[in-house]
Amino acid sequence: MKKFLIPILSLIICTTVIWKWTFGFNDFTIFSYTLTKAGKIPREFPKINLVDQNGKVFNIENKQKYILINFVYLNCPNVCHKVNNKLEEIYHLIDTNIVPSQLEFVTVSFDVKNDNIERIEKYRSYFGNNIDGWTFALPYQVNEKDFQQFLKSIGIWAYKMPESNVINHSIYLFLISPENKIIKTFDPARETNAFIIEQIEQCLKEK
Amino acid sequence: MLKRKITLSITLPLIVIAFYLISFYWNEWFCITMPRHQLVQLPSMFFLGIILALCFPKLFINDISWSIATLIFIMASLIFWMLPHSIDYAVINNSFNRLMHINMLLDGFLLVLVFRKIFFELKILFLGMITAMLLASGITLSVFNILLCSSFTIEQQKQTGHSLIIIATAMFVFTAFIFFRTLKQQSKS
Repeated sequence: MKKFLIPILSLIICTTVIWKWTFGFNDFTIFSYTLTKAGKIPREFPKINLVDQNGKVFNIENKQKYILINFVYLNCPNVCHKVNNKLEEIYHLIDTNIVPSQLEFVTVSFDVKNDNIERIEKYRSYFGNNIDGWTFALPYQVNEKDFQQFLKSIGIWAYKMPESNVINHSIYLFLISPENKIIKTFDPARETNAFIIEQIEQCLKEK
Repeated sequence: MLKRKITLSITLPLIVIAFYLISFYWNEWFCITMPRHQLVQLPSMFFLGIILALCFPKLFINDISWSIATLIFIMASLIFWMLPHSIDYAVINNSFNRLMHINMLLDGFLLVLVFRKIFFELKILFLGMITAMLLASGITLSVFNILLCSSFTIEQQKQTGHSLIIIATAMFVFTAFIFFRTLKQQSKS
């Protein structure tokens, strides 16, 4: 019996460590781990002041609408622009009765060192003039440490690579309810536009 | 006896110096790219463990249940340190990185102790599993177009994947060679 017990015990201990580390063999990357660690949805969206492309200070809570929020940085060599192109497609595919009256889009830059109001205003103009209800924003009067904490608490991982301006980060989209709760998360790398729109419209109907 | 003591007094300080250089002195350099970290630094630690065990030829694990338990531990450790989450955490957290190095050194050390007494079939099985694991990791890293480790780039990820496939193929050839050579020797005897 003892002969079997030791290897079985070893297997159980090793499996348990890996199981705990990956939240039940689900989260193998630091991106998905950070998202799961942030907590189950629905959960409160932490309070943060943002400043939009016109210099107007606002916060998500006061919008009292559904908000689809994502995080980018303008010096991103690739993935942020792809995500924003996807958001642009979603924006134009969603029923015009929904945006902006019930749902708004918010794209926040987390590169507090390099991005400023002029840059996000110019960047927004690349998506055309007819994007009412899609705000580009920056964190307002938040130091870098607190902002990193804010990102982690909503489930976004951001890591600035040493000796370069590249920030590797999560690309999740978060749907926030008028009650200021994160009610859905989307992975734009894996989920189709149709799926994301269907999920958003379903949430709006359930309201 | 004296010869062994002289060998030990030379080899052990060399291992300590190599550990210091790889884990401390050049650590930052190794952590800059994924191939350096995954293909040079970690295997170096593993081989240091093997060399350390070779310095003690009389040490071995004789009990079969402890041998299998140790092989499970080594396999699980290798899986753990290949997870993108573990790699990322090791790059950003020095203590965790050092734990990774000590664990790899221990893996190499224990592997030799187990291999000194274990059945040939189990050795081949273990080598086969390691090869399969390296191949699976290599394919995953080279095929995925999504960044898996936030500390590195997609190009480095793919480069590491391709190298792992080559290493796994070499290990497969090595394992097959050992397997057939031993079979031949056994059939002769």
